[in-house]
Amino acid sequence: MSNRNRSIPKLGIGGPVGSGKTRLIEMLVPILSKKGYRCCIISNDVISKEDAERMKRTLATESKVMPEDMIIGIATGGCPHTAIREDPSINLAVVDEIEQKDPSLDLIIIESGGDNIMTTFSPALADYFIYIIDVAGGDKYPRKGGLGIESCDLLVINKIDLAPHVGADLSIMERDAKLIRSNKPFEFVNCNTGAGVHRIAEHIINDLLFDRKPVEKLSRR
Amino acid sequence: MNTNHEFHLMQLADSFFPSGMFSMSGGLESLVKHGKIKTDRDVLKFIRHQIHFQLVPCDCIVLSETMVAAQNKDILKIINIDNRFFSMKLVKEIRNASVRSGQQMLNCVMYMLSPNNKNKFVLKFQNKIESKQAVGTYPVCLGIAAHCLQISRQSAVKMMLYSYSISVIGAALRLGIIQHLNSQWILMQLTEDINTLSKTMTRKTISDIWQLTPFTDILQMAHEHDDSRMFIT
Repeated sequence: MSNRNRSIPKLGIGGPVGSGKTRLIEMLVPILSKKGYRCCIISNDVISKEDAERMKRTLATESKVMPEDMIIGIATGGCPHTAIREDPSINLAVVDEIEQKDPSLDLIIIESGGDNIMTTFSPALADYFIYIIDVAGGDKYPRKGGLGIESCDLLVINKIDLAPHVGADLSIMERDAKLIRSNKPFEFVNCNTGAGVHRIAEHIINDLLFDRKPVEKLSRR
Repeated sequence: MNTNHEFHLMQLADSFFPSGMFSMSGGLESLVKHGKIKTDRDVLKFIRHQIHFQLVPCDCIVLSETMVAAQNKDILKIINIDNRFFSMKLVKEIRNASVRSGQQMLNCVMYMLSPNNKNKFVLKFQNKIESKQAVGTYPVCLGIAAHCLQISRQSAVKMMLYSYSISVIGAALRLGIIQHLNSQWILMQLTEDINTLSKTMTRKTISDIWQLTPFTDILQMAHEHDDSRMFIT
């Protein structure tokens, strides 16, 4: 829609409050970074910039995986779904600014504020949509469906280590996820230990970046 | 001749129009946090105050004068108005939000008007933004949009005052200080103000602009550093 060409692929990550969106990004970015992909993160937050501040600490200050100014926090006026779907203007404006500032980036990750099961991203904002839930919500979660679970490009089911403690049966979640998503991909992960996160990175590289080599590496050749 | 201008007026004034206004409280959040606004009457008083000391003497004149300049195809004057308005905004988050909203509004209007055949005047101004000669503030971009949709200056001013009021009232609802019925009562109280003020606006020129809302400005500056907040402004 802008007069500029939007060439940097954009990944949207949505999911309920506490499902592990921020933690997933914290685990994903170092994996992508090791492969040479340079990312920027836009973190939408309903009530604060806490997630953005946390990622600045973990991904920039402590681990130096990315520069601090490549992690941007946005307040959503209490309407996280509006900010990424009905009226993504402010997110699009920030994307425009990033693309002008550093067009050589490989990926822009847009984290939604914690929301309900109807969360989806405007296709004008995200090229690929990951929806993340966690097993602590019970093994009925995938079966209940909702736009997020059903329409996302990749469903991530987090905190698998908690399953025995909350009486959740992962085989039921697997069966229902297959059914409700008509065989579209889903993955079980534990974002706390990193188990399974490399598979999410592979999905992003294969399905969003289309196995494209990192921009920086390409330009060096 | 566009005979659908009334429809376009409603379209632009609708809170459904994608300009990011839902994420702004116009300083209300900070005033509520500091205990300065607690009731529906306080919200009404705040909106009136902002209209009389911010929007009418500044934003509305900028909007109106942009429309005149757009009518005359005077892009240099629009650039001048845009930069002047930007320089008057002392609060960083207000400046940033205005530019982000303004530029996205232009993108949307460009798409509305001719997705495949770019509007030359809008494109010209967007190129001035790209080349950093202009910044694309909200009232300037709204003025260009209103001109392209053949909305009258008086109606455009009314639309801006209404949209601002809706934005603040929406924020008050989400902050939990008013209820849905209060919101309509506040709008009713503003009807006469907005109608009367919009009639006088077209007589003002860019040399008349001023603004004076120091208390709101100071609390907005504090808002920039708040750890916990719902709204961008």
